[in-house]
Amino acid sequence: MPFTEAIRTALQSLRTNKLRSFLTVLGILIGVSSVIAVVAITEGLDAYISNQVLALGSRSFRLQKQPDIITSHEEWKEMMKRKRIELDDLEAVRKACTQCAEVGASVGTGGSAKRGRTIHKDVRIIGITENISRIGAVRELAQGRHLVQQDIDQAGRVGVVGMDLVDGLFGSVDPMGKEIDVDGNKIRIVGVAEPKGAIFGQSQDNFIWIPITTFQKLYGSRRSISIQAEAVSMERFEDAQDQVRLAMRNRRHLTYLKDDDFSIETGESIMDLWQTATRGIYVVTIVVTAISLLIGGIVVMNIMLVSVTERIQEIGVRKALGARRGDILRQFLVESVVLSGFGGLLGVLGAAGIALGLGSVIGSMMSLDFSAPVRPWAVGLALGVSSVVGLVAGLYPASRAAALDPVEALRNE
Amino acid sequence: MSTAAPDTFNGPIIDAEDLWRTYEMGAEEIHALRGVTFKIDKGEYVAVMGPSGSGKSTLMNLIGCLDTPTSGTYVLRGKVVSEMDDDELAAIRNREIGFVFQTFNLLPRASALHNVELPLVYAGIPRDERIEKARQALEMVDLGDRVTHKPNELSGGQRQRVAVARALVMNPSILLADEPTGNLDTATGQDIMALFDRLKEAGHTIILVTHEREIADHAQRTIHIRDGQIESDERRTS
Repeated sequence: MPFTEAIRTALQSLRTNKLRSFLTVLGILIGVSSVIAVVAITEGLDAYISNQVLALGSRSFRLQKQPDIITSHEEWKEMMKRKRIELDDLEAVRKACTQCAEVGASVGTGGSAKRGRTIHKDVRIIGITENISRIGAVRELAQGRHLVQQDIDQAGRVGVVGMDLVDGLFGSVDPMGKEIDVDGNKIRIVGVAEPKGAIFGQSQDNFIWIPITTFQKLYGSRRSISIQAEAVSMERFEDAQDQVRLAMRNRRHLTYLKDDDFSIETGESIMDLWQTATRGIYVVTIVVTAISLLIGGIVVMNIMLVSVTERIQEIGVRKALGARRGDILRQFLVESVVLSGFGGLLGVLGAAGIALGLGSVIGSMMSLDFSAPVRPWAVGLALGVSSVVGLVAGLYPASRAAALDPVEALRNE
Repeated sequence: MSTAAPDTFNGPIIDAEDLWRTYEMGAEEIHALRGVTFKIDKGEYVAVMGPSGSGKSTLMNLIGCLDTPTSGTYVLRGKVVSEMDDDELAAIRNREIGFVFQTFNLLPRASALHNVELPLVYAGIPRDERIEKARQALEMVDLGDRVTHKPNELSGGQRQRVAVARALVMNPSILLADEPTGNLDTATGQDIMALFDRLKEAGHTIILVTHEREIADHAQRTIHIRDGQIESDERRTS
């Protein structure tokens, strides 16, 4: 019996039992669609995260008292014991790092800004060196000028504000040259930063930059600063980090055996963390999928056994007309593969729907540009795996059908 | 009306020698056939008669190559069937035997054309040729205008004619009919028997298993089976 004929017969039997076929392949459908949807969504998030990380600047890194992400209470206690990083460290690093194009620093706190009776709360107040806007993601201005070295040296009462402050405090009034009240201190606005929108619903434009010297005058110098550096080139990225590390170890008099008592963070360390997290998601997905495919396979096997039993007489007739064992075996195997392949196909369609729907929901909920692409390899894998499930599940029922004695089968009513 | 295949084979179509068929039911042995010997020549029209339990069905299964004898030799057109394995038997059934069953045994979901195509499918004949041959076979039984009908859209007589077309489409050595009129009313049954008469005239070898005297009378030779043995083997000169 040629394959085309077997497939024709299989499709016919699928058509005859539409509802039964659909219910049979539900397990496979769920397994396949969950794996594709999860892959699509994680990939979408992957792309989104790496975009964001790239925006941080691939040649830049930060020297901080502690890492961005602390994973245990013990680690946190350890971090609390560390010495803070100060402006003196900035000078030392700047001198030591010959492979750094720029070395700057920032330190921030939360506060509120006022103009007349209008209050804008939860503003990020950031003290910076004048070069910060050139390190990592370059921040352009919509209006006015950046802070300059003179502002830093004189600890001037000037600032560059984000668009949220302009909108909140000035409305349509031109903010340039106007003074606002930041936690009780007058700051004159010299520039407005170009708006950047929100990441995960968090506005990127709700801040005011003031000279780092001014910051320390107003808020004290007990906060640890974050030193930010940009390597001269991608090739010198590691060298630049090593120079900074060495300079800091010398300053702290760390002997060879001691660990760093500071942290150097790069875009890569965020990516690493993210990838560790997604690996976990993948493992869970694979387990869930394996279970649903196993159950799906058992259901397919069960329904194939029912199908063989229902069609014993048909098998007898086919044998009487000259069907060999192999013909019958192939017929039922193909039917089983077509059945579960059909489940896989529905699963792919379901997954495309889920990925599209979730993608746009996530996108609009978090007001970000997000898409969950359904990858051809995931589709191919899903269809392949579901076909293999069909093959394995169909093996026993099909061999039972093939082994039937024609006389017995014909006598069956 | 088609004629049987031109055949260079000269011996008897069927040469059965001392056929025994024994079933084991637990510890007991049941002898369904106890030494049956007969020959059937090309172009003969033979009725096999006998009460139920006589071994008539067992003999039909052996003649139809659905089963092999416990002992004895069964030679079909010069080939020793009694020593064949399952797949060789399937190939023999496909090429040499055309079955017509009491309950028609058509595939309910397939069209008349596809039902007739089935033996050709298992013979590995390409699709275009299959359709052509199946259509010709259906025209031969006057169902050329019913090719796309499913069995449940056809009358009992039409269904049995589809079955006859299916039996003949491979141009087999023998047409083996098991109570072909058993599920038909008298008039329709007579139509089918008339069709068999025409096939006999065209040179086909027909073996008819029945318990009805009237039906058996269409054949020129009647073999009576009783208790697993041939009770009588009569030829009528007509």
